[in-house]
Amino acid sequence: MSKLARIIRMEFRLTVANRVFIVLTILGPFLIAAVTILPSLLSTSVAGMGARATKIALLGADPRFVQEISPIFQQSRIEVSAAQGSAESLDSQVRAGTYDGYVVMPADLSEVTRLEYVTTSSSDFRVMGVLQGVIGKALVAQRLVKAGIDASQVASLTQVPVFEMRQLTKGGEKKENPDFITVMVTGLTLAMLLYMTVVLYGQVIGRSVLTEKTNKTVEIMLSSVRPMDLLFGKILGKALASLLQYGIWVTISAAVLKLIGPRLGISIGAGLSMGTLAYLVLFFILAFFLYCSLYAALGAASEDEQHLGQLAWPVVIFLVIPVVMISSIITMPRAPVIVGLSLFPLTAPIVMFLRILVGAAEPWEILVSIGLILAATIAVIWLSAQIFRVGILMTGKRFSFLEVLRLVRYR
Amino acid sequence: MIELQSISKSFGQVKAVDKISFTTREGEIFGLLGPNGAGKSTTIKMIMNILTPDSGSILFNGSPLRESDKDRIGYLPEERGLYRKVKINQMLLYLASLKNADGSAVEKRLDTWLARFDLSEWKTRTPEALSKGMAQKVQFIASVLHDPEFLFLDEPFSGLDPVSTDVLREAVLELGSRGTTILFSTHNMEVAERICSRILVIDHGREVISGSVADIKSRYGHNTVAVEFDGVIDFGSLAGMVRNVSRFPRWVEVELLEGASPQALLKCLVGQVSVRRFEVVSPSLHRIFVELVGGPGKAEGERMGGTA
Repeated sequence: MSKLARIIRMEFRLTVANRVFIVLTILGPFLIAAVTILPSLLSTSVAGMGARATKIALLGADPRFVQEISPIFQQSRIEVSAAQGSAESLDSQVRAGTYDGYVVMPADLSEVTRLEYVTTSSSDFRVMGVLQGVIGKALVAQRLVKAGIDASQVASLTQVPVFEMRQLTKGGEKKENPDFITVMVTGLTLAMLLYMTVVLYGQVIGRSVLTEKTNKTVEIMLSSVRPMDLLFGKILGKALASLLQYGIWVTISAAVLKLIGPRLGISIGAGLSMGTLAYLVLFFILAFFLYCSLYAALGAASEDEQHLGQLAWPVVIFLVIPVVMISSIITMPRAPVIVGLSLFPLTAPIVMFLRILVGAAEPWEILVSIGLILAATIAVIWLSAQIFRVGILMTGKRFSFLEVLRLVRYR
Repeated sequence: MIELQSISKSFGQVKAVDKISFTTREGEIFGLLGPNGAGKSTTIKMIMNILTPDSGSILFNGSPLRESDKDRIGYLPEERGLYRKVKINQMLLYLASLKNADGSAVEKRLDTWLARFDLSEWKTRTPEALSKGMAQKVQFIASVLHDPEFLFLDEPFSGLDPVSTDVLREAVLELGSRGTTILFSTHNMEVAERICSRILVIDHGREVISGSVADIKSRYGHNTVAVEFDGVIDFGSLAGMVRNVSRFPRWVEVELLEGASPQALLKCLVGQVSVRRFEVVSPSLHRIFVELVGGPGKAEGERMGGTA
């Protein structure tokens, strides 16, 4: 067995035999279930969030009109009622909380182009949107009936056609493209997976490298093995342990969801083709190793756990950037900035994955992106090895990253 | 055989090692002596290829150190460390396996060494509760478990109690007699004098003296007197015949000035204290060391004199 394999085995054993690891492996699926299922159950209905119905007064509205439209509002947990009186009196009722807001309805609705909604909340776009949709549609219907159109035809006449996109690829074939939401959810899945993993295992690897320094075992190790072997061994050993844990989690979660999922009305794996899944796994693993090696470098450069924490937080930013930009990436996948981000190793995994999903990545771009991620990973591990060696010279002192790079030359 | 040819190493402005050369012969115990910060550890780290020299070359049996040569070397670094969460036997076997040594022979050796250092009951425990001295003995085992041809020990005796020092010294001597080439650094002259065949003294990165212990002693061996006594010596009265004095509570080592006779000194002392022993000796390595490296007024030398 090679020395590298021995290091991998030892690191794997050390990780897997850890009590925290075992507990997390067993409890993980339940935690994930709690984190993923509960919010989706809660957010599907407004009631689930614990909010009470919104009360809206329609000032000066015809009670018959209000009666007509109130069932539609009830679906959105909005109670509308007709109100009479002055705007001032309603103002005070809104302030007192009797109503959440009111709409001023003019006596003649046939010519009206603007309606005023008065509320204390400045950001209740949901209510505003529902009001506009329901009242607007009702008014248009009223006008059409007034213009002599049969009331039964109004619905079909005012129906706006739904747009569906079908994309032509270079080869001339047509293929179905996943819609915006599916792309977004799949992209976010990768981002969340990466984020969780990096925060969890990146720290583990960083700490493992750091303990070689705090335990002062660096020199003993380096008297037997190359720094690169030691770092590769640590990263691979911990990575294998984490992949084992993921395997267990995915299996248990899938089994649990298959049993319980249908009863809760949750389907899994919908909209994920085999090709997409393959890219997801590929980019996940690439990103995982790149980030792990970055954490190893930070572990080699830091003096204690607190210092590691300080050095490590900017790393996560590169996972957040693609998430923040996700709608721009999906809508403008060929914009130069997006293409750049899909090639820059730290953001590439998520951005390139999204570009592939929307069918806007050339094969050579995918290959370059993967090549750059691999090259960056090896470069970072090489750099960590240098920092690791230099670390022997700087025990007990905190160094800035620039100073570390300067010291690398003294080796 | 390890050969250092004029190696130098600087850290920024500081010259840690300056043109050091020496050759160790097969199966000898070679001492690298010098005060703290003299460049001993830096030299050993360069031999181990943990640091790279700025200039000069280091040869193992005539060629530069290859990665595979590391398996033939045992190394006890100055910075002592153990994996705190790993059982001692597991860790020691792991470290040996990284030297490509495993199997029942290694496990047998492990038991022998643990028994020798009185650590058998710790075999399957983690080193968290080990005392500093015990941990140091475990680390020594780590450096010899793969039965290396070369053994580099950086300050192996620092922090050990007298009994442990004896046990470790015996172990080092035994390995030396079995043909292991041992290079060790220390500032403990007493130990060096007892176990080294040859030494190199360095200070501020430069060679001060080198050679066999016997040669060096005879070179500096004129007119040194060891006196054991009860009472208080008025050292002022000895001015004019004494060049240097190493003082200890009940004995002194006196280096006489050129031309001064031991008889005159004895006469002078008899009037002051009751002399229990008076012997013309070759100087201790300690005495030579302090004279070469420290000397009067040099703080480092004074400190060295105090620790030996």
